[in-house]
Amino acid sequence: MAASAPAVRPLARAAIPIPLSARPRTARVSLLPLAPLAPAQRLALGRTGQARLPARSRSVRCLAALSPEMRETLDKVVGSSKVLLFMKGTKDFPQCGFSHTVVQILRSLDVPFETLDVLANEALRQGLKEYSSWPTFPQLYIDGEFFGGCDITVEAYKSGELQETLEKAMCS
Amino acid sequence: MGVTKEDVEAAITSALSPSNLVVTDTSGGCGASYEIEVVSEKFEGKRLLERHRMVNTALASHMAEIHAVSIKKALTPAQAQPQAQPEPAADKPQA
Repeated sequence: MAASAPAVRPLARAAIPIPLSARPRTARVSLLPLAPLAPAQRLALGRTGQARLPARSRSVRCLAALSPEMRETLDKVVGSSKVLLFMKGTKDFPQCGFSHTVVQILRSLDVPFETLDVLANEALRQGLKEYSSWPTFPQLYIDGEFFGGCDITVEAYKSGELQETLEKAMCS
Repeated sequence: MGVTKEDVEAAITSALSPSNLVVTDTSGGCGASYEIEVVSEKFEGKRLLERHRMVNTALASHMAEIHAVSIKKALTPAQAQPQAQPEPAADKPQA
């Protein structure tokens, strides 16, 4: 399940502080200052080195270019936690049903995880779409790798694959 | 108005040539929402994440107008066969 809001809702504050985890062994995630996006410049290869599918000519959405600086920043961010969820809102105050669903799944598995609110940072939001080749949020990262959106997380949860993946990540 | 169910069906059909496609309009006031079930040979050898990406790519031009897309099934014909249920109303094979 993936959600894409047609209009960005205005936020009362410029940035929402990330709530500290109650579990001391959880790695801290600092929201690194994100580099300003370079002028539109489409990368030929994705993060895994695989060629991206050609963009449809009639696409109305111009994705922000993922600059090398942005990619490096995101590499650091996703590598800073074993389990990291980019979502709308925070784990305590989800602002989207799909983000809420993934939070509930992770909580039911009793795994420590961090969240980052993409509504609080438009550059982060746009950069992640190219970084993961995934257009919507929530986006779940496990052990530094993009795992999937809401639909895939739900399906993996039902099949047991999610718990298996999380256990491997926590042990590594 | 914005994107319609027919738009979604046409985009997926064009990109994935599905042998079976079910698009359900689940819009509920928050904007256009759809649940999608796709059966396509193009999913052969692809893991689930890549299959969802293929569907997302097919809908890329409409994504700005769609509030939510939920991909309930992304199966190859071989996978879909044993799970086929005798529901004529839900089965829409396309030539």
